[in-house]
Amino acid sequence: MAEGLQLAVGDRVVYPNQGVCLVSAIDVKEVAGQKLTFVTMRREEDGAVVMVPQNKVATIGVRKVATPEEVEQIYSFLRSDSDKADLDWKQRARTNLDRMTQGGILGLAEVVKGLQVLSELRPLPTKERELYDNARHLLVSEVAAALNIPEVNAEDSIDIVLFPPGRERPKRTVAEFKPRGEDDEDLGLDGGLLGLDGDLDLPPDEEEAPPEEEEASSEEGAEEGGEEEEAPKARKKTAKAEDAPAGEAGAEGEPPKRKRGRPPKPKPEGEAAAAAPAAPKKRGRPPKPKPEGEAAAPAAPKKRGRPPKKKPEGETE
Amino acid sequence: MIRVVTLDSYDDKQLAKFSRTLYTAFGVGSEHSGQFELPAGLPEPLDAEKVLDAVKGVRAYKDDKVLYLTSRKLKERELPSGTAPTNGFSRFGKDKAIITSHGYKDLEVGYKAVSRHALHQLGHLWELHHCLDPRCSMYPPWTPSFAAGEPTFCTFCREKSEQKIRLAKS
Repeated sequence: MAEGLQLAVGDRVVYPNQGVCLVSAIDVKEVAGQKLTFVTMRREEDGAVVMVPQNKVATIGVRKVATPEEVEQIYSFLRSDSDKADLDWKQRARTNLDRMTQGGILGLAEVVKGLQVLSELRPLPTKERELYDNARHLLVSEVAAALNIPEVNAEDSIDIVLFPPGRERPKRTVAEFKPRGEDDEDLGLDGGLLGLDGDLDLPPDEEEAPPEEEEASSEEGAEEGGEEEEAPKARKKTAKAEDAPAGEAGAEGEPPKRKRGRPPKPKPEGEAAAAAPAAPKKRGRPPKPKPEGEAAAPAAPKKRGRPPKKKPEGETE
Repeated sequence: MIRVVTLDSYDDKQLAKFSRTLYTAFGVGSEHSGQFELPAGLPEPLDAEKVLDAVKGVRAYKDDKVLYLTSRKLKERELPSGTAPTNGFSRFGKDKAIITSHGYKDLEVGYKAVSRHALHQLGHLWELHHCLDPRCSMYPPWTPSFAAGEPTFCTFCREKSEQKIRLAKS
């Protein structure tokens, strides 16, 4: 949005997230004792009216409708093999929201293109499908306004670029969505961390985790939110891990060779070699230590319920 | 109400089947509202936009959608980014659309493809945009798989069309 945007009655402008509007009036009104100049805009789609103080117009992001040259640039952008959408949904949602609120036509095209390419990898979730539809609607109406053509023709002109006639859409792979200039090893990521075929590329020695480790980790896992409980949770965890290891592993140059799962606990020195293989650890609360002397005699089975009343001494039946 | 207006002669039974398909897809009444003659002076292939403007006299209520059906070829549209193959045309959010059954001997032979094009153009009348799902009738119609699909909508487009129809009724 240019700072010196001068609006006049009859101008066509784009209100971010709302669409093409027509400036219907610019007048001074007194609000709370202050005289303010208001720009009144009428949305072309449905005639909804919005009044904006003139000094807020720039802040909101209102701008004039794109020129035909800018629309040409949009076509070239849509034609190009641009950066793919982020596979991390949080990051993607944040980026797309920013693009929508900033209100630029290129931002709209980026949202449409990004989600369209992503849909070639997997179907879009409902929220993103709605976002895609909104972005497409705003883009189509602006292109139609800029080129002064019917909306159907504007949409077809966009889709001829996105879906070239006579060709089916390509199937995408996860590899295409990785950031450029980085490969798996640098990031410490593999297919599993990206949420796909996580169990297929395990080295044979790690495929079967020893039962002791499993038991130990399941006990500790309860404290830490059960990290290794189930595969879906592990996948969620990997999605979170996409950001974190990028800084650690990528900065070093040497990709660290990490084993999956929890690292083994360090054993106390000296004991490690001498210790015989421990008996498998029992789960649950450890038994109470028995008082000395009683250990040999097996205790009578404990009766349930209230203990019987003590009979007074000397009384007989 | 969807009013099907033929610009050429079609078999009544086939038209009834066609109307039933439209009724199933949108959940609003659909009927054949007669045959109209094309005004003289429109060269073939027909310019879809001009036909929509030229044909007059169709009786319809304000919230009715009129679908013209012709067996003649429609001219490809020259758009800013290229040429669009044209099997139909409609005005987004308005009330008139046209489709062609050109390339098929009759409606029975090209039933799926023609119905799918009809759903597509009527969808535009109810403000639906193109869809990402190849099985949906709102998928771009020039793609190779379009004509082979069933005349149905995906969940998103069906719900959106139902919402728009509800709004129009209220």
